Amino acid sequence: MRGLARLRILFRMAWRNLFNHKAKNTVVGLLMAFGAFLVVVGTSTLASIESAMTRSVTGSVAGHLQVYSDQARDQLALFGGGFMGASDVGTLPDFSQVKTTLLAVDNVKAVVPMGIDVAEFYTQTELDHAIESLRKALDAEDDARVARMEHKIRSMATLMAEEFGNRRKIMRTKAEIDEQLAGIRRATEDAFWQELRRDPVAGVTFLDTKLAPLVDENEGYGMQYIGTDLDAFVKSFDRFELVQGTLVPSGQRGMLVNQHFYDNSLRNRVARMFDRLRKQLHEKGKTLAGDPLLQNTVKRMVRQYRRITFQLEPEEAETLERDLKALLPEVKGNLDALVQAFLDVNDANFDARYAFFQEKIVPHIELYLFDIGDVITIRSYTRSGYPKSVNLKVYGTFTFHGLEESVLAGAHNLMDIMTFRDLYGVMTDEKRAELAEIKAEVGLADVKAENAEDALFGEASDVAATPVATTSTFDELAELKKAAKQGDAAAVERFTQDDIDHGLALNVAVLLKDPSRLEETWGALYGAIGRAKLGLQVVDWRIATGMVGQFVSLAGVVLYVALIIIFIVAIFIMNNTMVMATIERATEIGTMRAIGSRRLFILGLFFCETVILGAVAGVVGGLAGYGFMAHLGNVGIPAPSDELIFLFSGPRLFPTVDSGQVLVALALIVVISVVATLFPAWVATRIQPIVAMQAKE
Amino acid sequence: MEAIVALNKVVKDYPLGKLTVQALRGVDLTIAPGEFTVIAGPSGSGKTTLLNMIGCVDVPTTGSVTIAGRETGKLKDRARAKLRLEKLGFIFQTFNLIPVLSAAQNVEFPLLLHGRLGTRERQRRVAELLEAVGLAEQARQRPNELSGGQRQRVAIARALVTEPAIVLADEPTANLDSVTGLAIIDLMKEMNARRNTTFIFSTHDEHVMAHARRMVHIADGKLAEDRALAPPAATAEAPEPGATP
Ligand SMILES: Nc1ncnc2c1ncn2[C@@H]1O[C@H](COP(=O)(O)OP(=O)(O)OP(=O)(O)O)[C@@H](O)[C@H]1O
Ligand SMILES: [Mg+2]
Repeated sequence: MRGLARLRILFRMAWRNLFNHKAKNTVVGLLMAFGAFLVVVGTSTLASIESAMTRSVTGSVAGHLQVYSDQARDQLALFGGGFMGASDVGTLPDFSQVKTTLLAVDNVKAVVPMGIDVAEFYTQTELDHAIESLRKALDAEDDARVARMEHKIRSMATLMAEEFGNRRKIMRTKAEIDEQLAGIRRATEDAFWQELRRDPVAGVTFLDTKLAPLVDENEGYGMQYIGTDLDAFVKSFDRFELVQGTLVPSGQRGMLVNQHFYDNSLRNRVARMFDRLRKQLHEKGKTLAGDPLLQNTVKRMVRQYRRITFQLEPEEAETLERDLKALLPEVKGNLDALVQAFLDVNDANFDARYAFFQEKIVPHIELYLFDIGDVITIRSYTRSGYPKSVNLKVYGTFTFHGLEESVLAGAHNLMDIMTFRDLYGVMTDEKRAELAEIKAEVGLADVKAENAEDALFGEASDVAATPVATTSTFDELAELKKAAKQGDAAAVERFTQDDIDHGLALNVAVLLKDPSRLEETWGALYGAIGRAKLGLQVVDWRIATGMVGQFVSLAGVVLYVALIIIFIVAIFIMNNTMVMATIERATEIGTMRAIGSRRLFILGLFFCETVILGAVAGVVGGLAGYGFMAHLGNVGIPAPSDELIFLFSGPRLFPTVDSGQVLVALALIVVISVVATLFPAWVATRIQPIVAMQAKE
Repeated sequence: MEAIVALNKVVKDYPLGKLTVQALRGVDLTIAPGEFTVIAGPSGSGKTTLLNMIGCVDVPTTGSVTIAGRETGKLKDRARAKLRLEKLGFIFQTFNLIPVLSAAQNVEFPLLLHGRLGTRERQRRVAELLEAVGLAEQARQRPNELSGGQRQRVAIARALVTEPAIVLADEPTANLDSVTGLAIIDLMKEMNARRNTTFIFSTHDEHVMAHARRMVHIADGKLAEDRALAPPAATAEAPEPGATP
């Protein structure tokens, strides 16, 4: 009862002292409130990023856990970290064994084999296109188109003959080039074209094998891809979304291109810049006049004018020149000058030019390096060091839901794992022989069922199936290319789930039924792997995603270090302020001591004061943080950069905040205020009662 | 009657840089319960030092101070705090009320530290004392809402509330005008008479000195004179204790 009364007076004095020492308490209170605010904002942002990232990473590529060889020289980094593709994560020579072992573990929902690599790809040349067109025209018996293609190919051959003629002059051995020249000349002659109409198969094969390989390839481009069991991938990763085209049919080779990669790396640069400008002007409300960065984009766009003019056929060029002259009567000069003037857009004319571009230019240019449905040539250096090419059909484009704008998520393209293995290049002799046999068989068997077009090229399927991984010269490339042109073995080759499973993978994504039991399953996987003596390591998605995955941990460290620094500074400021205030209050404290207060009472008074202040400030700051985060939870935090889109699991992060975080902040602030009071309170207890006597008013 | 205060050859040195100031140079003094004693002397003579010795807020360099039978120099800090709480009341020159507490709460404060009385008894005593010092009306006011004289009355009530054996006052009137000062002395005298509390206070003021029963004069840290005084002839012009100055 009496103790209670004493506590009450202590509390009352402490409470009133808060208002009696406004300057001190405002400084200290604001600091603590700010601290509490930061704790709530920091922890909830971090937790939200973490859960957003968990969603996007686990649902797009990583799964919850990744399994790979314990012989790996590098750490698995699905989203960069080191040079992509250049890292050595070891191999899993037989995925089926891993699959069986992992699937037997409780809580494992799915396992998806993967291999990540980079390669160059080449699109078809102009001549390839023309021959392809001719083939289709012959097939459709479209005489007019056959005639147009004849004209086109013949004029190309004429140019080639001229060039090879020049080349011949500087050659020491003429035999080879003479033979090539003979082939080229043949394609310029009327006799050949009449013959072709009679026997299209022989004619087109001639063009394909003798003429097409003589044309220099188009420029190569780099691409990153994941070779995987595509069916399992699509089924397991819920963020996968098909955008254009179709999925790769089960049991067939093929590729799905990431829409982001398609739009940003494969799209005509002028078209891409036009769209980017439009987005900045219309969605972000910027103006060209007011933004030097956008002005710069316009300048760069003007310099890209050739990306339009080079693509136009003569008649198309004439039409565009006429249209542009009408639009820009003041511009003198040829088409190049007109297009450059046209691309030099400003705020006033942007919309009109954009519309013009869409209407008059876009239909006449190739918007993308290749189209959905095209076959591209992918060339990589196998692990044994020799080049390897395959032709692969692009079936469609895809994206990861919520990560449409993310550069990191947008870099991965998908291909079937069989093709991946070919490009990766490690195969046992046995397997190779077996595969060659299967390919030859399947290829021939299929031809019968396919249409005439396939039959036309089916003959050569055994050539394509010939294993090429045994030689290591560049000649192999030419050979391959020829083989690919004669008939696309890959397109007709079928494989089974067994083929997918019994083969190489580099890493395996493990998806869980209940992600909250990740740690437990992690342990269980290690147990199973150990028992099966598979020599594998298991990492969680955070580690598996490399730098990106560790971002959350890093951000956590940064946040906590920042908080610790802020709190140390706050403790110092609070300490100083309170020591000063204590000295000011010396008479009062001395008086209390003189009239009989024990030191403990003084100590109690001081701690009571800070705890009250800390609690009030903690609640105010914590609730402010809560309110702030709740508000952000509604409007979202826009991702400040493309990398962050990935972490935010979309262009905006909608953070969540819970009362637990406010309580943590409150507790932390109270503890910190007690720590900050230790010294001032000690100083206060050292004040002698005699001080009261010496007071001067 | 046995002495409530007994000082034996009390010496107090204050270090002051390399020098030491001898504030008290061997003081022998005994005070009986119920005495109303004034300590007089010029500035710097050692009055405050002497009161600090008696008030147990300081201990002598040599010699002994015995308060209510206990030698203060031998006590621990906590025991001295207890002695102060139970046996002593303080009235300060600068009043020294706790600013955040009301008049009544200031008076109650030592009782709370004491912790022996129930709420009702505490409130009774506080009310009685505030009544006695003539501040029943101002019970709920904070110190900064009171005049100097009123504050000192609260201080007197606070000093008396625990019914101490001794009340010490170091120049209690120095910050008050002479009329108010005399009223305070009268109030102290009245309390002394009514409760038989020992009062020891210091002053420079001739008028105040005149009210004492015993005057101890010190000069240069030594007892110069110690004499009993006749009761003063005229206190009629001083206001009644109950009247608000
Ligand atoms: N804490 C201290 N440190 C050093 N010297 C002190 C201290 N307190 C008092 N003194 C010195 O001791 C002597 C006595 O001081 P004391 O305060 O007792 O005098 P006093 O009679 O109360 O004077 P006043 O009438 O001015 O209040 C003085 O010379 C003073 O300077
Ligand atoms: Mg003095």
